[in-house]
Amino acid sequence: MSIRAAPPYSAAVALCAWLVMLFVLLPVAFIALYAFNDTAYLALPPRGLTLHWFANFFANTRFRDALLSSLVIAFAVTPAALLVALPAAIALVRYRFPGRELVNVALMSPLVVPGVVVGISFLSLAAALGLGLGTSTLIVAMTCLAFPFALRALVANLHGLDPALEDAARNLGATRLRAFALVTLPQLKPGVLAGGIFVFVEAIDNFSTAVFLTNSRTTTLPVEAFSYIRDFDDPTVAAMAVLLMAFSAVLVLAIDRLVGLDRLLDLH
Amino acid sequence: MSADERRPWLLLLPALLTLLVFAVAFAMFVSVSLRTQVAGSAVFAGAATFGNYRAALASPAVQDAAWNTVRLAGEMTLLTALLGYPLAYVVARSPSPLFRRGVLFGLVLTLLSGGVTRAYAWLVLLGNRGLVNQALAAIGLPTVRLVHNETGVVIGVVHFLLPFFVLTLLAALRGIPVALEDAARNLGASRWRAFVHVFLPLSIPGLIAAASLSFAGALSAFLFPELLGGGRVRMAANLIYERIVTDYNLPRVAAMAALFLVLALAALAMLAILQRALARRFAPAAEAA
Repeated sequence: MSIRAAPPYSAAVALCAWLVMLFVLLPVAFIALYAFNDTAYLALPPRGLTLHWFANFFANTRFRDALLSSLVIAFAVTPAALLVALPAAIALVRYRFPGRELVNVALMSPLVVPGVVVGISFLSLAAALGLGLGTSTLIVAMTCLAFPFALRALVANLHGLDPALEDAARNLGATRLRAFALVTLPQLKPGVLAGGIFVFVEAIDNFSTAVFLTNSRTTTLPVEAFSYIRDFDDPTVAAMAVLLMAFSAVLVLAIDRLVGLDRLLDLH
Repeated sequence: MSADERRPWLLLLPALLTLLVFAVAFAMFVSVSLRTQVAGSAVFAGAATFGNYRAALASPAVQDAAWNTVRLAGEMTLLTALLGYPLAYVVARSPSPLFRRGVLFGLVLTLLSGGVTRAYAWLVLLGNRGLVNQALAAIGLPTVRLVHNETGVVIGVVHFLLPFFVLTLLAALRGIPVALEDAARNLGASRWRAFVHVFLPLSIPGLIAAASLSFAGALSAFLFPELLGGGRVRMAANLIYERIVTDYNLPRVAAMAALFLVLALAALAMLAILQRALARRFAPAAEAA
């Protein structure tokens, strides 16, 4: 028996925390129920269960095309952002050079620019250069927008590593590249994974920038969902939401397995 | 420059080039904002002028949107902090690892499940025939309007910000040693006194950092006011989107967006100054304690 066994807060405070957690989980739980609900409006209790809205989602060619472009964009942006961020993170953590602090602030600056402003900027760029909108413009914009997520996670990860290990490898005769690849890179798995997931989710989920850069031929999943919600009142978007949440749940489990959820706090 | 001095810059090159693309897009956007659109075409013409900025600053719609943005972002941040702080505190000090893991899992899952998913869930939950109003009707109470007004937007955005706020604050709270509160308690302080005089002051820098992050998110809110506000709640981003959709006058809209960016950066710079001042005020006290 230690005194630590009793928490330093009262039952009322614990209740507050539980209520807040309930508020956080309410929409997630609700949308999952709604997606399987067999009426087009919300009936409580649900009269029956159906997969109709999932079938509806996949039967809709606009949703299918949007899903495909969102996946293409996310699978292009994630490796691009990581490849851009990894050497930069090494430079920022392992080297001391004049202007380092300024470079750090500049590289993180895309995070504080409102998404709508980024959208207008790339729309202006496309208009000025006579470029069309669509997948490639979206990939470039999303990479610029999202690489700081990867950079932040990798910098946090590198800060926690001991550079002496890489030095030891070099003293034992390894080249700089070999020492990095065999000693440091394996230890960067948490940062690469966490950063990659944040970038991937941002690329799939971004609405405020993407809405300015899509056109009638190329849309992304959130933009298509937004226009569907305005035109129709049925749970098809709930089915999409469940698919995205199931995917997120797999990501969370993967993070927990490979990195540990606790460590994510330091990398976020 | 020697090879050793060059190496960090070589490593930074891809990131700096990416930032350059971003900067070029920005330069284009600012230069477009100084031009005039030829009516009925996609051509920008005329000499550079601040006319678009003057028009935007004089427009009541722009002034209203700017004020709404700052006011709503303030309300949202305050509410997020009030709800998020107790949760982060309990998670940081809970004796149950299972509870901690459960909350972390729920927060990260919610965070990763995205904005559109959650905005849509709130639209259905809070709608006139939604869960909340069905429950009210079932127990014989009058229904309330929770969407297409500020209430719905604030609920949605606060829910969106909570996981970011709690995870950021939690990372800071974990660094506060439990021994300090134990010492206060052993010296006879009540739970409340130990919290107010020991834990709370030590948590201020983390609290401000988490609140700044939430404020930045609230300022740039777009999807939630668009969906849950039903055209009745106009924050800066919504006004910009509405204008680009209704009259596609890119130079005018670009000027509005530039003003919005200045507003957002000024607000965040003020918060950063506050954060630095408070960190200085409270951090040395922590070492002295």
